[in-house]
Amino acid sequence: MKIRKIYLAVMIITTVLLASCELDNYDGPNAELSGSIIDIGTKELVQQDIIRGTTLKIIEHGYDPVSPQYLRATNNGTYADKMLFANTYTIQPDQRNFVQIPEQVIKITGKTVLDFLVVPYIRVKDLSIVKNGTKVKATFKLQQNVPNNVTKIGLYASSEPIVGEPIRTVATELDVNTVVDENQVFVLEIDLAANSSLLKPGKPYFFRVGALINLPEAKFNYAAAVKLDI
Amino acid sequence: MRTIKNIVMFIGIVCFVFGCKNVLDLKPLDKLDSKTLFSSPEGIKVYMANLYSQLPIEDFAFGRNGFNSANINTIGIAPATQTDEAANSEYSHLVDGGGNYPWWDQGYKLIRDVNLLIETIPTLNLNEKDKSEIAGEAAFIRAYTYFALVKRYGGVPLITNTQKYNGEVESLKVPRSTEKEIWDFVLDECDLAAENLPETRTTDKRRATKWGAYALKSRAALHAASIAKYWSKAPLSGTAVTQKLVGIDAAEADSYYQECIKASEAIMNSGQFSLYKPSPATVAEAIENYRALFENPNAAPEEAIFVKGFTNPGSSGHSTDFWFNPNQTSDGSPHPGRMNPTLALVDLYESYSNPGVSAPVVTTNDGNVNDYNGFDKNKSYKTFNTPYDIFKDKDARLWATAILPGTEWKGKTIIIQGGYIQPDGTAKIETDESIVVNGIKYYTYGAAEWPQYSGFAVQAGNMTRTGFSFKKFLSKNAVPPNLGASTNDWMDFRYAEILLNYAEAVIESNYTADNAQLKAADAINVIRRRAGHKQNIPLSLTNVLRERRVELAFENKRYWDLVRRRDYHVLFNNTVRKALVPLLDLRENPVKYIFVRRNLSREAPLTFPVNFYYVSIPGIGANGLVQNPQY
Repeated sequence: MKIRKIYLAVMIITTVLLASCELDNYDGPNAELSGSIIDIGTKELVQQDIIRGTTLKIIEHGYDPVSPQYLRATNNGTYADKMLFANTYTIQPDQRNFVQIPEQVIKITGKTVLDFLVVPYIRVKDLSIVKNGTKVKATFKLQQNVPNNVTKIGLYASSEPIVGEPIRTVATELDVNTVVDENQVFVLEIDLAANSSLLKPGKPYFFRVGALINLPEAKFNYAAAVKLDI
Repeated sequence: MRTIKNIVMFIGIVCFVFGCKNVLDLKPLDKLDSKTLFSSPEGIKVYMANLYSQLPIEDFAFGRNGFNSANINTIGIAPATQTDEAANSEYSHLVDGGGNYPWWDQGYKLIRDVNLLIETIPTLNLNEKDKSEIAGEAAFIRAYTYFALVKRYGGVPLITNTQKYNGEVESLKVPRSTEKEIWDFVLDECDLAAENLPETRTTDKRRATKWGAYALKSRAALHAASIAKYWSKAPLSGTAVTQKLVGIDAAEADSYYQECIKASEAIMNSGQFSLYKPSPATVAEAIENYRALFENPNAAPEEAIFVKGFTNPGSSGHSTDFWFNPNQTSDGSPHPGRMNPTLALVDLYESYSNPGVSAPVVTTNDGNVNDYNGFDKNKSYKTFNTPYDIFKDKDARLWATAILPGTEWKGKTIIIQGGYIQPDGTAKIETDESIVVNGIKYYTYGAAEWPQYSGFAVQAGNMTRTGFSFKKFLSKNAVPPNLGASTNDWMDFRYAEILLNYAEAVIESNYTADNAQLKAADAINVIRRRAGHKQNIPLSLTNVLRERRVELAFENKRYWDLVRRRDYHVLFNNTVRKALVPLLDLRENPVKYIFVRRNLSREAPLTFPVNFYYVSIPGIGANGLVQNPQY
């Protein structure tokens, strides 16, 4: 009898205590921000790296001090953050492969879309990537939109479609270190035979051409990756 | 009876309670206050010993777990395995967020401790000469500490007095100085130290001397100069850059190089230092001299400028022998074989017959040293009678730094073999098998059981995967299989480094005064002659840098060389380090050895992001400092 009473008392106290707690007294993120980084000249997406690539800095208003958040662009030049709180934010690209654009203050509610129209440092033009015997050959021109030197160009290969300078199993790079002429044709080759342990014959691989401008912290500019069976 | 007990109890309690006087004012008996400590020379010595123990010396006991971490399980990841010098046998591991090791709180603790000493010096009960020596020693320690901070963080808050808390937190906050201001402070403190420190010591020989201060200045000035010169190889941006908290103007490079030259010359002209056993008669002698120098630096006072002692196994020893002996000579240590020198390092050593260039290990008859695709039965490989003949002509220091396949160590032949080629041409590589050919049983790893060989098997992660085991610093005697059991001393500054600093500064700044070009050429050639070379080579940047890498290999210089010259992100960009795999060729009769240059097995590609050139500043929310770029 006595034990049952104690048991009952504990039950009642526990119920009262727990019922008074809410799981969390804040609502979860309720807004989304997404968009694209678009070349103002060609209206195409500006290709990016998925790691160590372009980042967008967003600063939420109403807090001081506040740590900025950094969003990363995906390979094809789009970005999205689906876990934001509806509020006013200051947004500006941070690490990037295009000419800096001014800060924007925008109100993010629901599904907000914000595209950036930018001038990429370099455009890769007239690209062709073909397999030629035991070699993969990339031919292209470069159009640079800032006066700095082009540091280097590269042809990158990987089994993943997210191939780029940081994600590659084989690369052929060329140090340029000059300003390039728009009509100059660049040729880069990957020797498949010499890399047979890394690029296995009979399998598909992704090849992508990139170019880096000589500016502090500049990121690579790319053309879209090309899939080839080798 | 009961009453008596109660009375006794009552009296006892009364005595206890009233017997205590001013409980809270009692002084602890196991601690000294600063007044007592600083009142006697012995007390100052004790305080000084404590400062030295905190000094950020990147010695045997330094690694990713911090300074003085010999008794921590590091799984054998040493600073060298985070560079291109070596790989760990089990883990591909580059850097933990830059800086080799973040070192902030302990740095400022040491700065406070040394500032306290500096403020106390005028009140010390010592004669003027002793006071100035203490001042010099304090300046040396403060320079050393700020050097460790500035090379990791760039410009840091410069605190030169003991801050007092007066209820106002803001008054304690000191903003970051520019990177240049901190380097200049380090160099000025070195000058102050050199001015006041004695040239030699008869007792306490491991305490800093005038030459230790100049050596520190030589190293620091070279570091600052390199950052100024090579900043543009990996430029950063952001607030920290615009405020010059990181980075130095390229125009400053030459003046820092000259500071390095002057400090190095002071040591070179002192007449107190020379290389240990500078002219060996034979290559074998050169190998033994170089090895012995690191086994016991105290036998080489002519070369050692500043030495850190390791004395008591278990408490103040280090764990070099525990981790880095080859599997066969582990003396019972459970996880040996952890330091695997890479093929890139082995390639670098010159040959005696073709001096002045590195001599990559040529394994095929076509001479191609850039093919890392592994064994190809259609290729024509060079054959050798022993697993070490292929290294025959190479620099003595290779033989003293690494244990090469098939060579002797601690009375055993160290077997490092990656597999064999069966008589039918089938390759069995990195798999545990055996085969009988002409009545003789052959094993892929060179022996039947894993305790009998030291290479390539996955067994417990104790086997080298580069084809080389480690030798420099190891004791020839048996060492108990415990952490912290090794007791050979660490040469923090040695004469060879000063010569190499000098040569690099001269060639980098194209310095010509005082016959500098000739002296710099001589500097690298005396070091080479000590290694058994007879022919001199000309002064060039390539020659100086190669000489630096081979002479100072595994002395924890490489990490900072890659950082200061901004070579890290170029060298490590999706980089897979390389191995040399000795194979037994059973197609030949008698059987021969062939070698395959190959990508390291079980290696993740390693990348050094450029923001790692500076470490992130901790606690910026509270201390209000400007963060370094890209953190």
